[in-house]
Amino acid sequence: MSNLFFAELQRFRHWALLALLVHLAVLGFLARMVDPLQQPLFVYQVVAAVYGLAGLLLGLYQMGGYRKPNTWLNLLHRPVPHFQIVHALAGAAMLLLAIAVLLPLLIVITAQSTLTARVVDLRHWGLPLAAWTIACICYLAAACAMLAPRRLALFALVPISVLLFSKTSGIWALLLQSLVLVWLGAMLAALFKPDLSAPPRFALGEWLLALPLQFGVWLLLTLLTLLYQTGWMLLGTHPLNSTPPVGGYVEASRADGADLLLAGLAVSAHPDAGLWREQVRLSEVYGTQVQIEDFASRQQLTNPMPMEFDDDDRRTRFIFSHDDLRFHGVTLADGRRAGVLGVGGEHAAFDLAPLPLGASALATAHAVYSYDSESSQIHPRILLPAGETLAALPTPAGESMTVLSDRALYFFDARNLANAQGVLDPRTRLGLPAPIGSLDRVDLIELLDGHLVSLVYGRGSIDGPGEAWQQLLMVDAGGHVTTVARRALTPDFPLWLRHYDWWLSPAMHQSRRALAGLFAEPEPLYERGPAPRPASMQMLAAALMLASLLSALWLSARQGLAGPRRWLWVAACGVVGLPALIGLRLMHLDREAPEPL
Amino acid sequence: MNSETVIETVHLCKRYGATLALDNLDLRIGRGAIHAIVGANGAGKSTLFRILLGFLPPTSGQARILGRDCQALTPDDRGRIGFVNEEHTLPAWMRVSAVIDMQRRHYPRWNPKAFDGVIGHYNVRREQKVSQLSRGERAGLNLALALAQSPELLVLDEPTLGLDVVAKRAFLESLLYSNASDTCTVIYCSHQMDEVERVAENLIILERGQLKNMSAPDDFCARVSHWIADIPFQGPPPERVPGLLQVQRIDGLHHYLVLDQNQDFAEFLRSCGARSMRSMPVSLDRAVNGFLAKNHAAPVAA
Repeated sequence: MSNLFFAELQRFRHWALLALLVHLAVLGFLARMVDPLQQPLFVYQVVAAVYGLAGLLLGLYQMGGYRKPNTWLNLLHRPVPHFQIVHALAGAAMLLLAIAVLLPLLIVITAQSTLTARVVDLRHWGLPLAAWTIACICYLAAACAMLAPRRLALFALVPISVLLFSKTSGIWALLLQSLVLVWLGAMLAALFKPDLSAPPRFALGEWLLALPLQFGVWLLLTLLTLLYQTGWMLLGTHPLNSTPPVGGYVEASRADGADLLLAGLAVSAHPDAGLWREQVRLSEVYGTQVQIEDFASRQQLTNPMPMEFDDDDRRTRFIFSHDDLRFHGVTLADGRRAGVLGVGGEHAAFDLAPLPLGASALATAHAVYSYDSESSQIHPRILLPAGETLAALPTPAGESMTVLSDRALYFFDARNLANAQGVLDPRTRLGLPAPIGSLDRVDLIELLDGHLVSLVYGRGSIDGPGEAWQQLLMVDAGGHVTTVARRALTPDFPLWLRHYDWWLSPAMHQSRRALAGLFAEPEPLYERGPAPRPASMQMLAAALMLASLLSALWLSARQGLAGPRRWLWVAACGVVGLPALIGLRLMHLDREAPEPL
Repeated sequence: MNSETVIETVHLCKRYGATLALDNLDLRIGRGAIHAIVGANGAGKSTLFRILLGFLPPTSGQARILGRDCQALTPDDRGRIGFVNEEHTLPAWMRVSAVIDMQRRHYPRWNPKAFDGVIGHYNVRREQKVSQLSRGERAGLNLALALAQSPELLVLDEPTLGLDVVAKRAFLESLLYSNASDTCTVIYCSHQMDEVERVAENLIILERGQLKNMSAPDDFCARVSHWIADIPFQGPPPERVPGLLQVQRIDGLHHYLVLDQNQDFAEFLRSCGARSMRSMPVSLDRAVNGFLAKNHAAPVAA
């Protein structure tokens, strides 16, 4: 086994060395230009894609060379167990990826840690590991794709998709990547067998491939809606690509604020509705919406945005450290250390990692801070009640400033926010009537004794489940809230399309949600209310599952499957539905017969 | 299957879509000697080897090698079976010494004398990379590696394909001068009848996935005879000619290549108006080619 391992190292040693040097040169150049550890998420995603591509190409090239019939026979026909051969090949490839990917990253981070005043946190040492794991995952997926029967090759890449839609971060992200790595490793071992045209021989190996296969089929089927919608767009009647239907959610989400308020008032039975209509025409309409997509989690590997801000007056850059929850100053002129910045005059540690937003504002999930350049201090200005999460920064609304949380809309005195110091108390609190994840926009006007507020709900309902509506509320100076109107917004997409990915396979739909949320922290800003499925869609899903089950009974008999293997597939078709049935057809060909069937 | 049988197939079938590559093949090859398997392209030779080595499942029937079901070969079984293919696939990036070292470690019954005995026929230096070897040298190295494994069964699948005459001769000599046939059973698959004639003690002919002959090459030659008849007019229609493999008319004489015909064939020719006739022995090449060409597809006008 060790001979095969070293032979494989020898095969690619020059490429690995070249990749190491190029990688090191590129990272070194970038480190001279920017701080590579303080880049926005998109940059990390692009870089991770490059590492993944490197692994993918290695897997395709390595196993592509071996899968030629005579080469494959020469490789496997020897007195060495097949699992030892695959361990040798994959082990060598992963070591080569470590040389090309992990090593340069470690060198650069070590250099940054020892030679510069830039912040290097504990979390940053996880980045090389994550990069190497991603490269290895893509390598294993490509190797599986090469060794799987041709008709299944594409689906061997499906486990990579877990990384794309996962919401986990930090050490949990590394754990998830490790699980995907182990899964793909086991899948490769199952596919590493003499007969490459057949599915894995043992049930466990078969199902290591069968699950991504079914999930991949479901993903591909869901993509069919793109074709449908493209055709719809070409016809010129697509709600998102033409004049939206009257009274629908798309129209409401795009409407002028005044028009939206008037539309809500038009269905109101409130005695003052007529008066407010006049006021809407005369008043300036202010708006806000959810502005923050994600806060930084403690010790997460990447950043939602660069965790730094510049004080131009002091010519200093402050970089946030997750280790001590404080900003660390670095002079812009010569890159020397320039003090530590925390909360208040004592420079206390932040309770959470703050996002630098705008010129002098910082926000955590529970508070808004302001930075005063003159005193070089950071002070809390707005503190949300315990359990609430900030959704939007202070936004002007006449004499008030609004702050949106996941539970309420707060009105602050704009003058106090601009002039006074210290933590501000809200003048009014308007509790939100529905979860923030469904909230699309907030529009409001000032009244003599309060505010008239329009809330449009329905985010995600255009091509997904859930209802859409506009709710008009009047909140007076004392904080008393009156419902003025509730206007249902008609769905713009047909019912079957809005629930397509669900009725196609409720099990796969739920699996995707579960995978996305695996090891992830709760996301209050994405919380949505229950979206019950209409009875017609439930019946459609049930009919598909039943039809798949019956079809699987016939198909599995035709394929010659028997025993537990057959009944497992039949059960899967009953639970998963159409994706499992297509998966069964792809996994097992019809039984060969000496005479044509 | 007894211990004297190294390969046994029973009603072995393999279908690729509409094509039946192996058609109820019943084959039993005894231990020892060099057995040649010949057949036209598509006769099922490669399919048979891939099934025997467990790289392809049969559609139906059974296949056993060294007493083991071919679909259940263990690493130890593989160590007892040497295989040399026509591409002589060896890791091109490795040095010869590294390849030898790797094989030596993998095969517990490694025989350095056998290796040296074969590789001595070639000008292969150990510090050379495999990619620097000529095709003939690679073939020699491959054969040396296979024989040094001390296999009980050695399968050579068209090992001289693409070699020039010098390399081909070197390969055959190195095979013959080794004591391969004394220590193991050799299955030699080739289209080159001169090679088969030279090395094989048993001739197996496959045609369209069926076993058509299994005998000593001389015995097969004896089954095929070449008759030259002087028939003044048109000869008998081919379908009436017993055991006909091939018919030609050259310089007014009818040449018949026939299978399993004795002196009764002379009577047949006489009854068809032949004024004179004579029978001639045929070479193995002619006999096998005539046998295989019999059912070869040809245009209607031919």
